[in-house]
Amino acid sequence: MNRFVDLAKNPLLISSVAILALLIIGELVSPGFARGDQVVRLLTVSAILGIAAAGQNLVILGGREGIDLSIGAVISLGAVIAGNVMNGSDAAIPLAFAAACFAGFLIGVVNGLGVTYLRIPPLVMTLGMMGVIQGGLVVLSRGVPSGNAAPALLAFVSRSAFLGVPGILFVWAAIIVLMAFVLKRTRFGWSIYAIGSNENAAILTGLPARRIRVLLYGLAGLFGGFTGVCVIGYTGNSFISVGDQYVLPSVIAVVIGGTSLAGGAGSYTGTALGAIALILLQSVLTTLNLEFWGRQVIFGGTLLLLMLLYGRQARLRV
Amino acid sequence: MQPVLRARDISKCFGAVHALDKARLTVEHGEIHALLGANGCGKSTLCKIIAGTVGLDTGEVLIDGKAAALGSPRLAEEQGVALFYQELSLVPQLSVGENVFLGREPRDRFGFTDRSAIQRETEALIARVAAVAGKGFTPDVRVSDLSPDQRQLAEILKVLARKPKVIIFDEATATLDRRQVEVFFEILRQLKAEGVSSIFISHRMDEVFAIADRITVMRNGQTVAEFAAAETDRYAVVYAMVGETGAIAASVRDHKPLEGDARLSVTDVRASRLGPVSFTARRGEILGLGGLQGQGQKALLAGLFGAAPFLSGSVSLDGVDVTVRRPADAMAHRIAYVSGDRGRDSALPGRSIFENTAIASLVRERRHVVPGAVFRERFAEVLAGLNTRYAGLDAPIGSLSGGNQQKVFISRWLSPAPGLLLLDDPTKGIDLGAKGDFYLLARKLADEGATVIIYSSEDSELLSLCDRVLVLNGGAITADLTGDRLTPFDLTRASYGDAA
Repeated sequence: MNRFVDLAKNPLLISSVAILALLIIGELVSPGFARGDQVVRLLTVSAILGIAAAGQNLVILGGREGIDLSIGAVISLGAVIAGNVMNGSDAAIPLAFAAACFAGFLIGVVNGLGVTYLRIPPLVMTLGMMGVIQGGLVVLSRGVPSGNAAPALLAFVSRSAFLGVPGILFVWAAIIVLMAFVLKRTRFGWSIYAIGSNENAAILTGLPARRIRVLLYGLAGLFGGFTGVCVIGYTGNSFISVGDQYVLPSVIAVVIGGTSLAGGAGSYTGTALGAIALILLQSVLTTLNLEFWGRQVIFGGTLLLLMLLYGRQARLRV
Repeated sequence: MQPVLRARDISKCFGAVHALDKARLTVEHGEIHALLGANGCGKSTLCKIIAGTVGLDTGEVLIDGKAAALGSPRLAEEQGVALFYQELSLVPQLSVGENVFLGREPRDRFGFTDRSAIQRETEALIARVAAVAGKGFTPDVRVSDLSPDQRQLAEILKVLARKPKVIIFDEATATLDRRQVEVFFEILRQLKAEGVSSIFISHRMDEVFAIADRITVMRNGQTVAEFAAAETDRYAVVYAMVGETGAIAASVRDHKPLEGDARLSVTDVRASRLGPVSFTARRGEILGLGGLQGQGQKALLAGLFGAAPFLSGSVSLDGVDVTVRRPADAMAHRIAYVSGDRGRDSALPGRSIFENTAIASLVRERRHVVPGAVFRERFAEVLAGLNTRYAGLDAPIGSLSGGNQQKVFISRWLSPAPGLLLLDDPTKGIDLGAKGDFYLLARKLADEGATVIIYSSEDSELLSLCDRVLVLNGGAITADLTGDRLTPFDLTRASYGDAA
């Protein structure tokens, strides 16, 4: 009985069940919803959100109210940088990825330094950073969209690379495997959980908690920049607020995936499933042809229901 | 005339722990009354009950012969009992007068704060302590502009404004230097002259005999002796604190002569409220840090491990100077640290037993990838060696009892074995069986050549486990006890700063 209860509270299982249920509901409401090419299209959208949520996942796992609200602005920045670097040339794609990731990483490191050394709350620090980047983008681009994606990047994100599956899904799969390995099998991964679970205890086992936390914010920025390049590959050209729509969904995907907002517990596999479930839910709600407010109510209600299912996590007995 | 305060048959349990068992305390009018006892004897709990911050289970408190209802600090104050806080309750941005009347401001007839009344009444209070107040101490000066001495004075005025009959000073002199203590005593004498009584908890025997009229000694939650200070001496008081059981523990301990090379040599180290302190510890030695709580023992251990680095001084290991600025430095020198505050310093809640044990080894061995199978086998063996009861390495740490959790945390440091093991009250709140396993482990590590330094809040633990005990009082070492001198009597006496 106890094992059954434990299983029923497992976020991975709940997300998987939610994904299946949403696919069935979608198919019932609109036949063809769960067709192969449709599923691939939904997965592609999920991949972009999922990669953004990888960075979000890391800073949340690291604890101390970790969160990165600047991720949307960093995605926009990455898209604008990539668009201008490529300007339609396939040869410049690697450089576009490198430039966008590097810029994102630098911004993330600044976030991390502010959070750890200046002790600015992450919510405030990253919200401030979001404003700075958005303002900077307006000044730099003078409000006019500029740059566009190279043809090979467009194909990478939206056209089949192998058996009808676009390249970005293979990249996402690789990220999922890599994240699982790093979090479960490396000192760095264990350090993230340790500082998120009890920073003081982590320091007393010799871990450099501050440096790790700075690096986590840096990685969040790096994933944001990477996502930005994928976004321009999906939309074709960039406008300066293209990333804004990812801010809250990236946090929600992490939470649906079972990562505690308090830090120290969760997995990226869960977050990836969470991203898929979230995109499916939005898609089903769109298919239902509800008015905007109706979608919002059902969307919010579903999230609350999921949170309720997870229950409160058992606290340490000391 | 009735005594101003009489507490009778006071009992109090916290869970299964009997903090007080029919304790009593009688304080006469205009008397300075010292309350003494070893760690955990219940003196602080008794004071808290009298001051209304903790409720009592059974018993009664009489004030001027009348039963008092002490449900809250406010009620206690109204009946004439006030608790003195050490620099905790002043608001630096406000003036002395505003602080003194904070929350109880006199009102004028329109309901506004009556500033002239504050001024007038604070001046009257200052006049009472004029002998020590010094210049520049006026009602309207801001607290942030006061010297530390004057802040202490403002704190006392705040208490006096409540017109108490009895004031409780719990370790009021702990953070004061010699001159400040003199000022403080002057105030106590002044209060006494006005007929106000004081209950005075101190950790220094010199102070007790310098100021107290009468002394009450507590042990294990009971009141065991009451003395008139003029008619007793230090030995009698210390004997009362130790009790008859005192002599036993020392005799069962084997008096192994101390030999072996110096492993650790500490010279003139200082930290906040510690030092300068110098001592050496040998290879194979279990060195205890004794004394009352909060006398610098934890700061010494935290400094050695780099958790709160020393401000100055030097440390050498096996004859080589080492610099420890952070725990990782200490770990590189095979220094290990286990805290008794598991929730704050050790536990990674929500993580598995495996992660909770193996994490330190990843750091020490500079491994970037977890060698799963190797570590699992290794730590399963270490945990089994400590008789740890657990369901499996992947079970969460929170599924274990306190004693088994502590075994997990110490197993972090056992493979490979440490050269210097620092234990900060490690058996606090764990069961007897686990305690026994701990003692055996400490002895085994020492026999294998490690140096173990342990701070314990239980004197009996130090007496039964340690080869030598350094006693700390007010951040200084007051005694170095070995062999025949490692007795409850000497330990208690040195705890109160009485060097032999």
